Amino acid sequence: MNNRRALFVQAVRGPILLVTVGVLFAMHQAGVLPFSRTWPLIIIVIGLLKLIERMLMPQIPAASAGGPTG
Amino acid sequence: MRPRASVAGPLILIAIGVLFLLHTVLPNFPIVDVVAQYWPYLLICWGIILLIEISVRAIRGRPLPTSGISGGGWAVVVLICFAGLATYEVRRSDNWWRRVGFEHGMEALGDEHDYAVNSLQKTIGKTPHIVIDAFRGDAKISGIDGTEITLNGHKVVRALQAREADFANQQTPVELVVEGNTVTVRCNQAKTGVRTPVTTDLEISVPRGASLEATGTEGDFDVSSLSGNVDISSDNGGMRLEDVDGNVKIDTRRSDLVRCTNVKGTVDLRGHGSDIELEKISGQVTINGDYTGTVSLREVAKPVRVENMRTQMDVEQVAGEIRFDRGSLNAQNVMGPVKVTTHATDVSLDGFSGGLELSVDKGDVDLRPGQVPLGKMMVHTRSGNIELALPESAGFALTATTDHGDIENEFGEMLKQRAQGPGARLEGAVGTGPELNLTTDRGSITVRKSSDEGAPAKQPAAQMRTQQAAVALNAERGIEATSSFR
Repeated sequence: MNNRRALFVQAVRGPILLVTVGVLFAMHQAGVLPFSRTWPLIIIVIGLLKLIERMLMPQIPAASAGGPTG
Repeated sequence: MRPRASVAGPLILIAIGVLFLLHTVLPNFPIVDVVAQYWPYLLICWGIILLIEISVRAIRGRPLPTSGISGGGWAVVVLICFAGLATYEVRRSDNWWRRVGFEHGMEALGDEHDYAVNSLQKTIGKTPHIVIDAFRGDAKISGIDGTEITLNGHKVVRALQAREADFANQQTPVELVVEGNTVTVRCNQAKTGVRTPVTTDLEISVPRGASLEATGTEGDFDVSSLSGNVDISSDNGGMRLEDVDGNVKIDTRRSDLVRCTNVKGTVDLRGHGSDIELEKISGQVTINGDYTGTVSLREVAKPVRVENMRTQMDVEQVAGEIRFDRGSLNAQNVMGPVKVTTHATDVSLDGFSGGLELSVDKGDVDLRPGQVPLGKMMVHTRSGNIELALPESAGFALTATTDHGDIENEFGEMLKQRAQGPGARLEGAVGTGPELNLTTDRGSITVRKSSDEGAPAKQPAAQMRTQQAAVALNAERGIEATSSFR
């Protein structure tokens, strides 16, 4: 069950990152905050998503090997 | 079973298709502006669509993809980012690569070779039509008394070898072609290749009654003392016009400065550029385009219309000055009805008559009508403070509403204030007068009495008074003001 959640976070990582990048550029274009000041947020988001994924992963790596298909 | 591909790809393709279709069907549709401003939302929409798809899959228990976006997908994202930023940068006239002189660097192949242009003179009528076509270089055109056109100038050829430069010089003679009333100044610059660009700087004196029609690719136009119409379009360069009696029409792709002084006819500016300075214009002024620098209008006798990406403004007459800077609009001494719609701009109007219709998306509003009787005012800002200073003698019926914020009132009991959730409402009438309607969704409202320097000084009688009397008057008023505060 946990494994499936981890897979979900993994699948959702790309889209979330895409939305983040889009929002930052939109703010840059609208003159709210320049991208030159907000880009580190992208790294933070990647880090957070990786962290959540790691927390949801099963403890024993061997168990996940055959898991996803089932 | 392999999961189906995302619906986002086809949807984005359709969106891009619709955008280009709009461009082909409606030629006026500003596709570049729209793309430059809103391209990040494409990424946001794409991301949200993918998120929804993956969530639906997860809830229904279908197999999940290992990653939401494939490598190819990311490549497209990077491509969109580059294309979006590129359109945004290209559209701006003061972007970094122009500031660093990148363009000049590209041109700096070879050496500059100077050549003199043989002086030309021809007798033409009193009111000729002067045409300069596809001109590259600086041109100074001035009207003089008489019926002659005189041309002087010099040429700069950039080339790797002197031989090439000589050849380019021979191919690009400057000619004056007279056909009836039309005089064409031909520089033949298109005859040389890009390897040997020719820049021709000209000084042309023409009969005062002449009209001018010019198109330039690069370089400044300096026009003075003409009584005909002036019509200039330029890809890149500044414009300075002085003492023109006819109508002026200027179209710029990119310009550092457009300055018009003392024009008797209408002034019509369009395109892209940086600064604009208009002064002493007797005709109607229309500015339609994207100017990123300071736009300033002074002493315009007829209606003014300004339209750009951020702002739309209509004014009947400018006795003082209107000034647009990055994110701010200041006007002093204008005749209305004044109509302004703008976003992300602070608006300050000092001395205006004849009513006001103002809508600001995000920005503070500072209004000092200065003179009585007041005109009707409809002021709305979505996010920002409103400050209104009214002469003590003014009569008006006020309604001020803020959804989030406070209201400060200097007119006392006559206006009734009450809280409305996180906001407030102020209502009431002082004497009899027009309706003043102020609303802000988020921000404070201040209604105060203006210090009375503005209103009486505008009456003609006040101008007749001697300086001394005015000083004495002010001192008197000062005492009055302080005593009334006690």
